[in-house]
Amino acid sequence: MLLINRPLVQFGLALLTVLALPLFLRSGILASEVLIYALIAAACNLLLGYTGLLSFGQGIFFGLGSYVAGIFLTRYGVPVWMVLIMATLLGAAVATLVGWLSIRRQGVYFVMLTLAFSQLFYFLAYTFSDLTGGDNGLMDVPRPDLGAGPMNNAWSFYIFVAVSFLVLFALMLQATQSTFGRTLIAVRDNEERAAAIGFPVKAFKTAAFAISGAVTAYGGALKAMLIGVAPLANIEHHTSEMILIMTIIGGSTSLFASVIGAAAYMILADVLSQIWPRWLLLLGLALVCVALFLQKGLWGLIEKLWVMFFQKDQSLEKKEAEH
Amino acid sequence: MTYLFQVLNGIGLGMLYFLLAVGLSIIFGLLQFVNFAHGAFYLLGAYLTYDLVERGMSFWLAMPIAALIVAVVAGVTEALLLRRIYKLPHTFHILVTVGIALFIQELVIILWGPLGGSVAAPDGLNGVVIWGDFIYPKYRLFTIAFTAVLALVLYWALERTRLGAIVRAGSESTENMALLGYDTLRINTVVFAAGAGLAGLAGGLVSPIRGVEPFMGVEALSIAFVVVVIGGMGSYVGALVAGILVGVVQSLMATIWPEGARLMIYIGMASIIVMMPRGLFGRA
Repeated sequence: MLLINRPLVQFGLALLTVLALPLFLRSGILASEVLIYALIAAACNLLLGYTGLLSFGQGIFFGLGSYVAGIFLTRYGVPVWMVLIMATLLGAAVATLVGWLSIRRQGVYFVMLTLAFSQLFYFLAYTFSDLTGGDNGLMDVPRPDLGAGPMNNAWSFYIFVAVSFLVLFALMLQATQSTFGRTLIAVRDNEERAAAIGFPVKAFKTAAFAISGAVTAYGGALKAMLIGVAPLANIEHHTSEMILIMTIIGGSTSLFASVIGAAAYMILADVLSQIWPRWLLLLGLALVCVALFLQKGLWGLIEKLWVMFFQKDQSLEKKEAEH
Repeated sequence: MTYLFQVLNGIGLGMLYFLLAVGLSIIFGLLQFVNFAHGAFYLLGAYLTYDLVERGMSFWLAMPIAALIVAVVAGVTEALLLRRIYKLPHTFHILVTVGIALFIQELVIILWGPLGGSVAAPDGLNGVVIWGDFIYPKYRLFTIAFTAVLALVLYWALERTRLGAIVRAGSESTENMALLGYDTLRINTVVFAAGAGLAGLAGGLVSPIRGVEPFMGVEALSIAFVVVVIGGMGSYVGALVAGILVGVVQSLMATIWPEGARLMIYIGMASIIVMMPRGLFGRA
């Protein structure tokens, strides 16, 4: 395994990202958003890269998380920590259901099922507008108050997001390194063989879904607190698409790849959308280019560069040794 | 009477869904390729029809010309870009076609603005027919008749012509077709163009009913997916039956529970999948 793909290094890179974002970004909201989407893309990668499941339904869990935050923080005054736990559990539960139903089919069929479920949940949210606020969404979602007053400054909320991000990222790293994670990879690489050996393949896939959904819902709750709104858009098909795009652009050979993908997407979107409102046209072209020329994503590029320079170093050392 | 009205509406809607989904389904059957740009071709067909009618062209001319342009655009895209990525995993099929869909959608907004517009029903078909108690818009009756004829022609083309036989054989095994000396690359392009052209035609056909707006493609894409999932991938009959089923359910629900009409489609789809994972007419 490449040094940069080792779990400790990956965590170090995540920590570095958390520390570096405030230096490069002026807006605490954008920085928090980058971390939230990085977390969610990593959760998507757990399915895409480690289990081989391309889920078009990540927006379901994201939207649910933001609705849980919106409903229980504004209407029932439930404490933040409990709301976050509720969002996580609901995300896991719904992801288990959606995952279990979707993995009945494979390949493209699976993708279409997740897409159809994302539409189902979108229309659920749209139809039951008493609960979700329908088109308007839920307003005035408060940020957490951890004794020091509400986090009105986006940067103080950034710290909260950053801690969440690091903990969950570490847990996901741990999951990929565990026997569970390695079994997922076995399922991805050869499902029939994994099943023949005796692994309950469906249970493993469903469990991967549950973890991914839980983390994504947590991220959705954070996003609602950050912006102060839980909009219908969070559960829309576009959100699922965006999460997937970030993940694929990042690459699926390591968990940190998704952080790169999310950061690249969010920061470029922020810059480009200010220059040209129709920047999605460029994104469309970029996606085609990624598929044609950058199939391992940005992380694949970084890996390549790393190997190049790493080997260069080695060859230099060799030469020096010869002298 | 309201129910008859809604059932008729539903059949009309369902035939449009069929038109949308059948291209997607056949493209998948032949190429094993999910086309997320399918909704964008529908969008493009609607806007081209709108544009040509705005320029004073007769609707009867505008609709087929628009569909033809969409088919050519799709064919060129297939020949230049898509055929390079068939061998890649599905992830990249989706990435590329989502990219194309975004590109077309934004291009539509740049060219025609974000607000959309309406298309007048063609001369002779605006207004309603009245048979006793029964009152129904002429144009909607026309769409039912038109799509029914088109469905028959398609069926004939698939089942009784040489190209249809090639397409069906290709769905079984592209390699065998290539070994038999058929130019599968060209067949792929033709089928892809035809499927997209049908979506474009559906867009043009629907424009006098619902108008045009830049995000109609997204909605159409997910409906087309639902129809294909319910009917079974690659199945003509499946697309037809599922299309009409979805249309009728949506229309009937619109009187019973208007807010939940579209929700019911997806709930129906989920229950069918749970009971019959391959869809109604899907093959193993």
